[in-house]
Amino acid sequence: MFNTYFLLFFEFFKIGLFTFGGGYASLPFLYHICDIYSWFTHQELTQLIAISGITPGPIGLNMATFSGFQTLGLKGAFISSLALILPMMIITSQVFRLYKKFSENSYVKSVLYVLRPTSCALILSVGAKLFYNLVLISDLSLKLIDIKAFVLVVFLFLLTFKLKRDPIIYMAIAGLIGVVLQFVKNI
Amino acid sequence: MRTSSWNIFKVFLKIGAILLGGGYVIIPIMKQELVEKRKWLNDDEVCDYYCVSQCLPGIIAINMSILVGYRLNKFKGMLAAVFGMGFSPFISIVIVANLLSKIMSIGFIDGLFWGVNLSVIVLIYLTLKEMWQKSIVDIFSFCWFLLILFLAVFKVNPAILIIVSIILGLLMEKIRRIKNV
Repeated sequence: MFNTYFLLFFEFFKIGLFTFGGGYASLPFLYHICDIYSWFTHQELTQLIAISGITPGPIGLNMATFSGFQTLGLKGAFISSLALILPMMIITSQVFRLYKKFSENSYVKSVLYVLRPTSCALILSVGAKLFYNLVLISDLSLKLIDIKAFVLVVFLFLLTFKLKRDPIIYMAIAGLIGVVLQFVKNI
Repeated sequence: MRTSSWNIFKVFLKIGAILLGGGYVIIPIMKQELVEKRKWLNDDEVCDYYCVSQCLPGIIAINMSILVGYRLNKFKGMLAAVFGMGFSPFISIVIVANLLSKIMSIGFIDGLFWGVNLSVIVLIYLTLKEMWQKSIVDIFSFCWFLLILFLAVFKVNPAILIIVSIILGLLMEKIRRIKNV
């Protein structure tokens, strides 16, 4: 048990330390945790992503709190959130003192030059995984593609030309369409 | 002039509670609460903090809270800002997680989650679109992107990929400096 507490702290400290590029950048790490520990299933992870998006607060923090809760209850939620925030408190408060110099430092620039494409690739790999799991159905079912899901994604994609990038709008629209489709199916 | 930690906590409690959907919304909210209403900071500071937060590891909203809190009342201000920011999200997630089985049995919840999860695909696309121009600037960065994508698809530990990238970035600058001497 002690071991799990420690591992939970360790894993989320790592996420706090190595995530670059916003909330969805921590998804590759969560999938990795899913693969090596049996703390939560892939299906629970998709629930967790949806809930973290529609509750208040930064999505990365919400996902950490939720994963901690799924693993070890309230204590787990506390440990994972704290572990996530700790590296930021250490690094960012140090950077504050020299922040003008920091963003103009040539080593920092060079590291970011390599890190940015890495973050893009990691985030894209999660996008591809979600697309594969939610839109392309390969397991057992004879259908190669979920038409409804595909149409919804294309519709949301087209909306990006019209709407602002505020994420909650897309979640609200898609969620509403999902609810309506489910009612129609039930009738 | 320092601001009391209790006041910092209260303001960030509010920011944490109304922040929905992620990082992008934080700038207008912080400008409204910290610049216009309370005049604790000026516009430029908020923008500077946002730029620095993007370069730092972790969550942009949390890093911004740390910078603002530290600016207003040093270490105590930082703690007040972070815990204020994290308070409402923590409570709401714990409540939702406790009621998860009940929530999952609501009639329309499957439809709701189905839709929201599909929207995440589009949100990831939007994140990427925003990052792409700043990230993929030449042939090297494009090739590096493809290499990491290949490795990530084959489930290489993301932390290792990040560490390798940091080391490579440092080495490249080191070599450049040696050459220039």
